[in-house]
Amino acid sequence: MSVQTNGKQRSHKAEMALKRMKSKLNRQVVGSLVGCVHCGMCTDSCHYVQTNPGDVTYAPAWKADRLRKIFKREIDWTGRVFPWWVGAKSVFSDEDLEELKDIAFGKCTNCRRCTINCPMGVDFATFNRMLRGMLVSVGVMPEGVAVVSKDQWEIGNQMGVLKEDYLDTLEWMADEMQIELDDESAQIPIDKKNANVVYSINPREVKYDPRTISDAAKIFHMAGEDWTMPSEGWDMTNFGLFSGDDDLGGAVAGMLYDKVIELKGKKLVISECGHGYRSTRCEGPNWAKKDVPFEMESSVITMLNYIKEGRIKVDKSRNPQPVTFHDSCNNARSCGLFEEPRELLQLVCEDFREMYPNRAENYCCTGGGGAMSMSEYAGRRLKSAKVKADQLKATGAEVVVTSCHNCVDGLSDCIKHYELGMEVTQLVNLVANALVIPEKPVVVPVEKEAEKVVAHAESLVNRTILIVDDEPDILTFFSTVLEDNGARILTATDGEEAVELAMREQPDLITLDINMPGKDGGWVFSRLREEKATSQIPVCIISGKPELRRLIYERSVPPPEGYVDKPVDEAMLMRNVRKILDLSKRDQTHSVESN
Amino acid sequence: MPDFEYNGKTVSVDEDGFIEDPDVWNEELAAALAKGEGVDALTDEHWNIVNYLRNYYQQFGIAPMVRKLCKETKTPLKRVYELFPSGPAKGACKVAGLPKPTGCV
Repeated sequence: MSVQTNGKQRSHKAEMALKRMKSKLNRQVVGSLVGCVHCGMCTDSCHYVQTNPGDVTYAPAWKADRLRKIFKREIDWTGRVFPWWVGAKSVFSDEDLEELKDIAFGKCTNCRRCTINCPMGVDFATFNRMLRGMLVSVGVMPEGVAVVSKDQWEIGNQMGVLKEDYLDTLEWMADEMQIELDDESAQIPIDKKNANVVYSINPREVKYDPRTISDAAKIFHMAGEDWTMPSEGWDMTNFGLFSGDDDLGGAVAGMLYDKVIELKGKKLVISECGHGYRSTRCEGPNWAKKDVPFEMESSVITMLNYIKEGRIKVDKSRNPQPVTFHDSCNNARSCGLFEEPRELLQLVCEDFREMYPNRAENYCCTGGGGAMSMSEYAGRRLKSAKVKADQLKATGAEVVVTSCHNCVDGLSDCIKHYELGMEVTQLVNLVANALVIPEKPVVVPVEKEAEKVVAHAESLVNRTILIVDDEPDILTFFSTVLEDNGARILTATDGEEAVELAMREQPDLITLDINMPGKDGGWVFSRLREEKATSQIPVCIISGKPELRRLIYERSVPPPEGYVDKPVDEAMLMRNVRKILDLSKRDQTHSVESN
Repeated sequence: MPDFEYNGKTVSVDEDGFIEDPDVWNEELAAALAKGEGVDALTDEHWNIVNYLRNYYQQFGIAPMVRKLCKETKTPLKRVYELFPSGPAKGACKVAGLPKPTGCV
């Protein structure tokens, strides 16, 4: 079937794909389509370009122009009036669509590294996703994408796992956990109503590698969390993100949201999966056209908070091997999850080494955007993985940690292909491995513990604490709280004064604000660590901006003993100060005595 | 379509190294595929898993849940990873001649 267009035959599929494009154009996409000035800044940012020098067809701007030409011919007036002048060119045949498929799926992982390197703000990945959606709407897509999308539509999860198999696996993991902990109360509660945490996972965890499920369950149990796993709507992955099919995206995300609402859960915790996190937490409400009346959180943040709140104890010496961290594109570049995984790593590993470039500038694992399910492009993928291999090798680490299942597979393939001999793991495995399991688990809700700590006055007697902050209100507040608990207080309002006081007075603890005029907290921190006289003094970093923590991490000195995010309340301050000074044990003895 | 060569013979595999036609599978080929997955020699424990995977696939046309694999072959999960370092999906399934698992693997 074909349609006559300006004297030229157009296939039915091409006609339908164009219709879809017209219905999906929004301001963001149009801005990106017209904004490119062909400056070339994006070219070197792409891992495909770097490994295929001289092949223009990998350059983001060239790839983007394939859709831009269509947009000009069909929508923009310049292309409709002077197509020859602006290089406008539409699609007519099924072969034209196949060519677009090769670009949209086979030459881009939608990692968005070019996007953040574009001075004009052109978001190529966003309209490459739209291009994928146009093609998928007429059935032009890699077979792997089609199979997975079908399973998500029809069975509700991307690996076609049946409900009884899912529940059977959870029961199995709960049994293993009970044996390991020798504790019958260790359970994986299913469909519990009004739970504080509803935990959602990636189907590969249940189908092929449930070790991450038992590790997470162990952490929830040891934290005394009121948690549950849903019997349905548990798949937080979403091939709608990869295929550009917003309807699928909305249907899958909607299943999760509906289940949490039905269970009256307070918070949806998403296991370590980059595209799942982005789809569920960031894009899903738009696709599903739904208001989401509960909190959503990455399990990385949940685990970090358990440690910071003292709900679980960890021993980093159990993870002694050198580790590095790979930022997933979707977690980091698209959702801003930069500092929390690093902070958590510092707490559970002895030897953390940064990879360069990192955070928003990190390179894709090369298996992103659904590439792991498209075997036909595996050759190109592994060639482009040279960039990643070089990056990994330069860290000298033995283990690479990532908070994304897709990256686990992308990195594993890269490591195997380039014979790097590194291990790939996730934060949940490291946290579970570092868990200190008391002989008999004590489940104490965190609020009660906080009250107990505050109620126990004068517990900081004979302790000198130096408070470094340029804000008078914080100085007064910290001084009052710590003094009320018996500590002797010193204060400094700038970096140089802080270092001088620390050298002279040798305090037991320093609370250090990162963001100060003049010498910032990072400078103070490395001076303290470098000077022999102050190198052993515990430091608690105080910051209102998590992104500033890089001022601390990127210094080649031992990491600080603690972090506290502003705003700080009394209980939080005391809990952290006591934890760093290692007073928690004594405190427990006191509370037992007072009982 | 790339080829996989072993003992002077050739079979077609996909870009990820999974064999294209499950019917060309034989024990000699399995041993050769295993080498690429970090398994130098297939022991009885390996064969127990490989044979289970093949039978399951022939019966149902999909790879089994790792739960079923462990239960039916009486192999603890940790042991599966020791036997096949690249895991049940990419390691054991490849050796058993199953197609590449779909989705995020």
